[in-house]
This record gives sequence, C-alpha cells and structure tokens, in this order.
Amino acid sequence: MTQPEPARPHLDGAAGTAGRLILPIAVTAAILVVLPHLWFADSPYTTGLAVEALVFGCYAVGFNLIFGSTNQLFLCVGALAGVGGYATAILSDKASLPLAVGVAIGTVSAAIVGGLLAWIAVRRSLNVIFTGIVTLVFSLAFTNFIIGQRDLTGADTGYVLEGAATKLADDRLGGYYLFAGLLVALLIVFRALQLSHLGWAFRALRDDEVAAELAGVDVARYRIYAAVVGSAMIGLTGGLFAYSLGFISPVTYGFAQVDVQVLIIVAFGGMGTLLGPVIGAAAFGFLDRALSDSGQLREAYYGAFVIAIFLFLRRGVVPTVGGLFERLVGSRRRAQRVESAAPGRSER
Amino acid sequence: MRAVVLDGIVLGLGFGLLGVGLTLVYGLGGVLNLAYGEIAVFGAIVVSELMARDTPTLVAAGVGMLAAAALSVLLDLTLMRPVYRQSGEERTLLGLLLTLGLAFVIVGLLNWKYPTGTLYIFVGGDPISIAGVPMAAGSIWASLIALGVAGVLLVFFGLTTFGRAVRSVIQDETGARLVGISPSLVRTLIFALSGGLAGLVAVTRSMTAPLTVTSGFDLTTFALIVAVVGGLGSVAGAFLAGVLLGVVDNVSAHYIGEYITAIVLLAAAAITILVRPRGLLGR
Repeated sequence: MTQPEPARPHLDGAAGTAGRLILPIAVTAAILVVLPHLWFADSPYTTGLAVEALVFGCYAVGFNLIFGSTNQLFLCVGALAGVGGYATAILSDKASLPLAVGVAIGTVSAAIVGGLLAWIAVRRSLNVIFTGIVTLVFSLAFTNFIIGQRDLTGADTGYVLEGAATKLADDRLGGYYLFAGLLVALLIVFRALQLSHLGWAFRALRDDEVAAELAGVDVARYRIYAAVVGSAMIGLTGGLFAYSLGFISPVTYGFAQVDVQVLIIVAFGGMGTLLGPVIGAAAFGFLDRALSDSGQLREAYYGAFVIAIFLFLRRGVVPTVGGLFERLVGSRRRAQRVESAAPGRSER
Repeated sequence: MRAVVLDGIVLGLGFGLLGVGLTLVYGLGGVLNLAYGEIAVFGAIVVSELMARDTPTLVAAGVGMLAAAALSVLLDLTLMRPVYRQSGEERTLLGLLLTLGLAFVIVGLLNWKYPTGTLYIFVGGDPISIAGVPMAAGSIWASLIALGVAGVLLVFFGLTTFGRAVRSVIQDETGARLVGISPSLVRTLIFALSGGLAGLVAVTRSMTAPLTVTSGFDLTTFALIVAVVGGLGSVAGAFLAGVLLGVVDNVSAHYIGEYITAIVLLAAAAITILVRPRGLLGR
C-alpha cells in the first residue's frame, strides 16, 4: 500500500481494483496459515481457543451480512447454528447419511428458517428492536424445543456424535484449518456480494431505508436475500462445528453463549465492514485467553471491557482506524489531486 | 380449571410487576436496560445478606429495594449519559450494548462474592381460600403487592402532575423541555423507580420460589417479552400482558405438558408482537 494510488476506485485500472478488493482477504488468509506455526501449534489448549475464535468469526460474518448490511437484528445466531448443528448430527448419526449430506441439509434448513424470519419481519414491517425481540423469542423457543426432544437430542446432557468424534475432535490443528478455510471462503462470498448489485442495494438501504425504497430498491427482497445467505453461513458453521467438537448440547448454541458474543464481536469490529468480524473475533479470542486464569471474576472483567470499548470505540475498530487512515493519507492525496488537476488536464 | 386460571393470574401479576420497571425506562429514554434482571438479583442478594444478619424481613426488603434503586440511579448518572446524547436507533443500540456489559459486570461480581447467594422469603400462614380454591399465603401476598403497585402506578401516571410530566417526556422530549420539564431529572427519577421495582420483584418472586445469583438473565428476557407484548412504555399494558401470559403459561402447563409450555408461551408472545407490533396497549 506504499505506492501512490488514485483516490477514487472508478479511476483505477480493473486489475488494481481487483487487487485492492481481494488484498484484505489474501492477507487474512496468509496470517491464518502461518499463525499456528509461529505461535500455538504445540499447545492444544491455545489451538482450541483459536478454533473457537474462528468459529465465532464465521458466525460473525453471517450476522454481519444480516445485521451490518441490511439492519435486521437477528438475535438467533445460536439457534440458526443449532438448526445446522443438530440437523448435521442427527442426520449423519441416526439416519446414517454421509456427513456432507447432513451438513448440506443443515445449511439449507438454517437458510430457510432465516429467510422465513426475515420474511415475517418484512411483512409486518418490524423495526430493529422488534426484529430483535421476535428472533430472541425464536431463539428461546428453539432451545426449549431441543431440551424437549430428549430422545433425539439428549436434552441438557448433550449429544455425542459417534462418527465424528474420532476424526476431528482429536486433531485440533485439522479443525483449525477447516475453520480458517471456511472463514476465508465466507469472506470471499461477503466481498463478492458487496461488489454485486446486492452490495449496492445493501449500502443504499443501510444509509437511508426510505430513500432507498424511493430510488427503486426493493428493500424487502434484499433483506430476505441477506437473511438467507447469512443464515446459510451460520448454519454451515454450526454443522461443521458440531462435527469437529464431536459433542453438542443446547449450551453449544445457547443465546447467552453465542448471540451475545457475536453481537459484541461485530459491533466491536465495525458493522457492515469486511474485516470487522475477523478483527472482533480475534480480539475476543485474545481476551478469552487473557482472562482464562481470572476465575470467578472473568465475567466481570469481560463486562467492563465491553463497556469500555463501546464508550470509546462506538463505530467499531475498522471504521475508526479507516477514518484515521483516511485523514492521514487523504490530506496527502487531496494535495496530489489538486496538483494534478491544476494544469488543466483531465483525469482521463 | 378455576384453580389453574387463578394460579395463572398469580403468576401473571408477578410477570407484570417484572415487565413494568423495564417498560417505563424504555418508554422514557428509549433504552432497553439489559441489566434489569441483574439489578433485581443485586437487590435480592442485599436482602438475603441482611436477613442472614437477623434483620427483620420487612426492613431487609426495604433496604434491598433502596439498594437496587440506588444502583439503577448510578447507571443513569454514569453509563447512560453518552447514550442520551445519541438519538433513534443509535441510542437504542448503544444503550443495549452498555447495559449488556453492565449485566456481565454485576453478575460476575455477585458470582465471585456470593456464589451460593439465594433469596427465599418464607411467608407463614394457612392457605387462603379464594373462589373455593386454596392459595398459598406467599402467592396471595405477592399478588396483592403486584396489584397494589399497579394501582399506585396507574393513579400516579394518570392523575398527578409529576406523572403527567413523565408522560409528556415519553411523548415528546423536546416539547417537554419547552414547557419547562427537565427530561434528565425525570429520567433519573424513573430509573430510581425502575430499580426499586426490580428490587420489589426480587422480593415478591422469592416468596413463591427461591431466587439465585444466576436468575438475572431469565428475569431480563422475561421482562423484555412482557414489556413488548404489553406495549413498550405502557404500565397497564405490562400488567395486562403479564396476566395473559401467566394464564397461558399455567393452562398449557396443566393441559398440554410441562416442557411444551415454554414454547407455547413464547409463541403467544411472538404472535402478539406480529399481530400487533405496538403491543396490547401501546400507542
């Protein structure tokens, strides 16, 4: 990023644009590949925490697409992941379908559920808070449903995936690379959506819903699209997570355990940004590790940290850092632009 | 059937009392206080610690309510200040995240200091017969307190000058300021009231079942559901929604089965919200 660049994307060459748009993902992927070798490959405990951070990163990308891009507060990330997770577990274990089929059905089910929730919210034109509450109610109902179906799900005691346990649960590093790959794949999908006409519609409806509607953006349709794709991401992650853990229980997908954390990760990283979920998940991974020996007070420290970041970093890390960067680099760029514009030649 | 419905009403009055403290704060500041349940638990721990030191129950309950009110005012005067500087959805979201963080802080500290803290207030006396159904004395007292609070709040908001001032702030903050009402003062007082109600909920709940350090999350989610079904900002709505949900809960627990009940209850709440997004009595 050291060579001087033209200020506006549409003035770039096609190759330059593509490079810049892919670059953050490529850098993330490179870091994810080398990180275990530089740091924690020999510590199963830290590797386990890293896997968890990656899983939360994947959830956060899906949630970011739904909430960050289209302003629908889905407080059912855990439940959607649970739809994927339990479908995968039960189909591949009890119905002895191949794992891939189980994961696929789980992903599709989560996408359908998410799409339905968005459809309801759109039809009833619920605002952010009410969408949040309806999906929260869905989350709680889902947890109760899982607990109720004792024969199928093992209720609170949990469910051991017979087939999966031997494979990935013991191979922590394998799990790490599985979710690192998934995270990169989801980021690519997110970026591709941002670049397509969907991304344009998302930006419009996020900036000003009424104006977007007036400009001919079918807000309802794009909300449902975002919910379907985001929920599929979450369901897929939940299914693969079940498989890699080898054991799931309602707590694995609980509201307090998943949704709260994902909301904080995305708000911390920066709503609607590409790398926000990754940075948020990494930060909370570090926080988890740092707090791991503080015992009983862990939760209190965690809460204090949450309060501190939202008091001082309201817009999230990515927009704040981006703003600082723009201010530093932007002034130089502006100077260049004035210089190049001054002699009266057009900018091509 | 009569017993089932009556029990449901008792349960529902408790729900209503739970929802009303949350609904007031939301109606006023546009803040969903996610630390509400934890504030109630804080009050409960204060009461139980005092009772363990041989303080009379009534005094302990009073001090517990005051402590919860004080904590709530502290929240208003510190963490909520930057929230009030925002408006609209920004305000709601920031308020939600900050109170969520506070909920973690409170539950973390209580868990650390009083890991086994539990409040259970035993109310003696024979069962009292109502409409031919014997009811436990604790339930009767809890219901009477809830009814009393509902009555006082309705009179207060309907008839007194200060109550009207509060309603004017709910309707239009700028307008209220123009006629000389200070929204920030009104908010602080409502936070105090809300905290006191949270403490009272802790006391009345513990008269029918023990309240533990980890009850806070359930209290908050249930308060949220009751408040939304009743209509955010509506006192009468919170009690109406509480009673309806209480009856639904008990009837379905009795006739359908225990574990489906939670789902029936949540479905009832979801349907109400979808059919009538402003809530039963919301404007």
